Amino acid sequence: MNSREEILGRVRAGLQRNATNAAAGREVMAAALSANSEGPKPVFDTAPQALLERFRVKSELQSSTVDIVAADADVPAAVARYLAEMKLPKAAVVQPALAALDWAAAGLAVEARGARDADLVGITGCFCAVAETGTLMMCSSPDTPAAVSLLPETHVAVVQASRIVAYMEDAWNLARKELGTLPRAVNFISGPSRTGDIEQTIVLGAHGPYRVHLVIVEG
Amino acid sequence: MEIKSMQFKARAAGSLANVALQGNLKNAKGKFVTKRAEAIRDLDDFEGTRDAAAAIRNKVIDNLDLWLERFEQKARDTGATVLWAKDGAEVCRLVIDIAKKHGVKKVTKSKSMLSEEAGLNHALEAAGIQPVETDLGEYILQVDNNEPPSHIIAPAVHKSLDDVADLFHKVHGTPRKTDIPALTREAREVLRGHFLSAEMGLSGGNFLVAETGSVALVTNEGNGRMVTTLPKVHVVITGIEKVIPTLEDLSTLMRLLPRSATGQSISNYFSILTGVKKPEEHDGPEHLYFVLVDSGRADVVGGDFHAMLRCIRCGACMNHCPVYQTIGGHAYGWVYPGPMGSVLTPLYAGIENSIDLPHAATLCNQCGIVCPVKIPLPDLLRKLREKQTERGLRPLTERIGLRMWAWVAQQPKLYALGASFGARYLKWLAGGADRIRVLPTAPEWTLGRDFPAPQGKTFRELYAARRKSAAT
Amino acid sequence: MRVGLFVTCLVDLMRPRIGFAALKLLETAGCEVIVPETQTCCGQPAWNSGDAPGAVALAKKTIAEFEGFDYVVAPSGSCGDHIRTEYPTLLGEEPEWRDRATALASRTYELTDFLVNVLKVDSVPGDADGLIQGSVTYHDSCTGLRSMGIKEQPRALLAKLRGIQLKEMDGCEECCGFGGTFSVKFGEVSAAIAERKCNNVLASGARAVVGGDLGCLLNIEGKLRRMGNETTQVLHVAEVLAGRV
Repeated sequence: MNSREEILGRVRAGLQRNATNAAAGREVMAAALSANSEGPKPVFDTAPQALLERFRVKSELQSSTVDIVAADADVPAAVARYLAEMKLPKAAVVQPALAALDWAAAGLAVEARGARDADLVGITGCFCAVAETGTLMMCSSPDTPAAVSLLPETHVAVVQASRIVAYMEDAWNLARKELGTLPRAVNFISGPSRTGDIEQTIVLGAHGPYRVHLVIVEG
Repeated sequence: MEIKSMQFKARAAGSLANVALQGNLKNAKGKFVTKRAEAIRDLDDFEGTRDAAAAIRNKVIDNLDLWLERFEQKARDTGATVLWAKDGAEVCRLVIDIAKKHGVKKVTKSKSMLSEEAGLNHALEAAGIQPVETDLGEYILQVDNNEPPSHIIAPAVHKSLDDVADLFHKVHGTPRKTDIPALTREAREVLRGHFLSAEMGLSGGNFLVAETGSVALVTNEGNGRMVTTLPKVHVVITGIEKVIPTLEDLSTLMRLLPRSATGQSISNYFSILTGVKKPEEHDGPEHLYFVLVDSGRADVVGGDFHAMLRCIRCGACMNHCPVYQTIGGHAYGWVYPGPMGSVLTPLYAGIENSIDLPHAATLCNQCGIVCPVKIPLPDLLRKLREKQTERGLRPLTERIGLRMWAWVAQQPKLYALGASFGARYLKWLAGGADRIRVLPTAPEWTLGRDFPAPQGKTFRELYAARRKSAAT
Repeated sequence: MRVGLFVTCLVDLMRPRIGFAALKLLETAGCEVIVPETQTCCGQPAWNSGDAPGAVALAKKTIAEFEGFDYVVAPSGSCGDHIRTEYPTLLGEEPEWRDRATALASRTYELTDFLVNVLKVDSVPGDADGLIQGSVTYHDSCTGLRSMGIKEQPRALLAKLRGIQLKEMDGCEECCGFGGTFSVKFGEVSAAIAERKCNNVLASGARAVVGGDLGCLLNIEGKLRRMGNETTQVLHVAEVLAGRV
């Protein structure tokens, strides 16, 4: 008997599996998979402006910095301003999805591609953002490679205010509606990478970015 | 991993005598407990969320075979390969086979307690494949002669800043650094090269999502993302009990797991990985394998310890356990310490190999109160004690003593006589003082404290005397 | 109202005055208190040590002795909870006994819980006696706190004593390390946990530490004395509330 059959056999024995309870079990499973029922959630104001405000506050609590601009066209200048303030390089890797913005006009030398080890600044969009916890939802695709938010020391993310949802559950529904199936990688990002492994003291910049800067486009 | 749980008492004594460890434990205790308490406060319905989380886990483990088949099907649909391992040896064999098939020389690993169970690093090395632990805590332990972890969330919690400073100085040959950000940066620089050069990444799995065939990973450092994004092969090793139904269920559990573990409202990174890289994508593994591991879990299904399969490995039980707080994780002698470990070790590594563990608890139920999936840990510990007694595994003197005491307690007259004698004997031992310094009948008590002297007569004697004098 | 007083084996052996204090508190509040003389132990040590048959036998014995009363009261959250929560579980296989256990369970109380929530006492006799004066700190015993919900009851009663001020210590809800047989199986670990508790007691600056379970109190007192502290009193809440017995 192969391991799969042996393991499942022992599980079935433990559950005293028979035709009757298997049918009942399948019903439970089908119901769970079709209901997608949600658990209790924290309660807060979900009006658009309130969501934006909560997202900003929670992001800052996660040690991200936040800038708010009026339109997409303002994004390159806002990014350039941030990089200058932080004395960071003006060269960056940008996800191909954002290649169309006029980065050069803001004095930035960007390359639209996947990330490499040498990249110091990575600029990404996001699929949506979750106000509950101040979290970005990144969905990988050819236009949105996952490593751009991971390898560089600085991650700048552009967030459309209209894409700020209240809860992670809302993000799943948006993904189901717009993408159908999940992409290879969904990465929820809440601030810069960190570790507490030495004396439970939080240090930012473990293996991923040291800093995360969010540019929210009010639109 | 070799099981040393039979030496619990000696190891605990060693922990108590280790001054540096005592300081580290005290420091960690305060941080874990305080942060969790703060983090659960912003859930309006914490208890309701716990109930929902327990129900989600029950839903799966009550029909685990069906959910496993469903997950397997969905994962295969996404292009992943699903393998099954009966035990640690099979885990090692399967992982080595995968590595050889893809010409792998180096494996970067994010934290996996199951790989500790299986002793995978040792097996990989023996097969000529270099395993590199990349979680900072696990890395610290690996370069310190493969020391075992002492905590499931913070593996190197027993080490102090000084310990790590000395270690990195020695291992990296760099000037000794004493600030934590600099040490972290040093590890980052060493490990970055490994991330980029490894052909295979190995991770555990916090959850397997049946709806989508995905694995969900909860991490903070970014190493979990590295090992699942950069190498061409990704292998997930998880226990068979880790399946959950839907993405909504994942969200519910995520409200509890980071809060219970580290006191975060959400972990820094939460990755839901589904299938392999598409041809036109810039990153992601070309091959994805799931190794679904039994190692004792299947036999727990449907039995007295079924509820233990709900465990989501947050570590809150150990963080809040007075015993763990006092002796740390190494004393427990296997992969899982604290209350959850004292249940899992007997179940997975043998009840006869861990005789002390179910007894090494005060049954204070602090663990049960903080458990995000409401596992009645004290009840399970007590049940294990019962199994030990049934199997005759307790010392003979203890078994006879207990049975005699229980028998005498059923004979009121005899019991009253024994109690009167006992009260007088203890009073005599105290020799007129209000305390006994050495208690011959229970020497363990007086190792570290006195035993207060009794009044000298039992309540029943005094009460009878009072009733008699009232009557006359 | 006929109340059966479950003295507990530890009080019987070590501190009869706690039993008399409980008796006084209940009688002062107007109860007719009966102390069945055949009572021994509730069986919790057997249950917690894995001796289910011994625990079952003692449960049946205790049920038979106490089921005739309107209420059963114990000066212990641990023993009280064993009767209230565990008896119906450990007798679950025997329907007749399970039902008798359930009936008894619903009428079983820890002493301070009973005084506050059933008798709703306005005053306690210790107030007039004024035997104990000054500051006290309260140790919440684990089972009473987490299984029976004993938290505010003893504090509400202590607040009725004019000469006493409550000074809460850090970690008042943390285990003292007693744990029944744990304290004699793993004496050093147990004593190390007790040391943390005692340090919190001492840091509170209270003159006395008060609790509702004698096991914890023996542990705390034993550790305080071994630590060289001779002045901090260690008292059962019943003693404090009852005054002179």
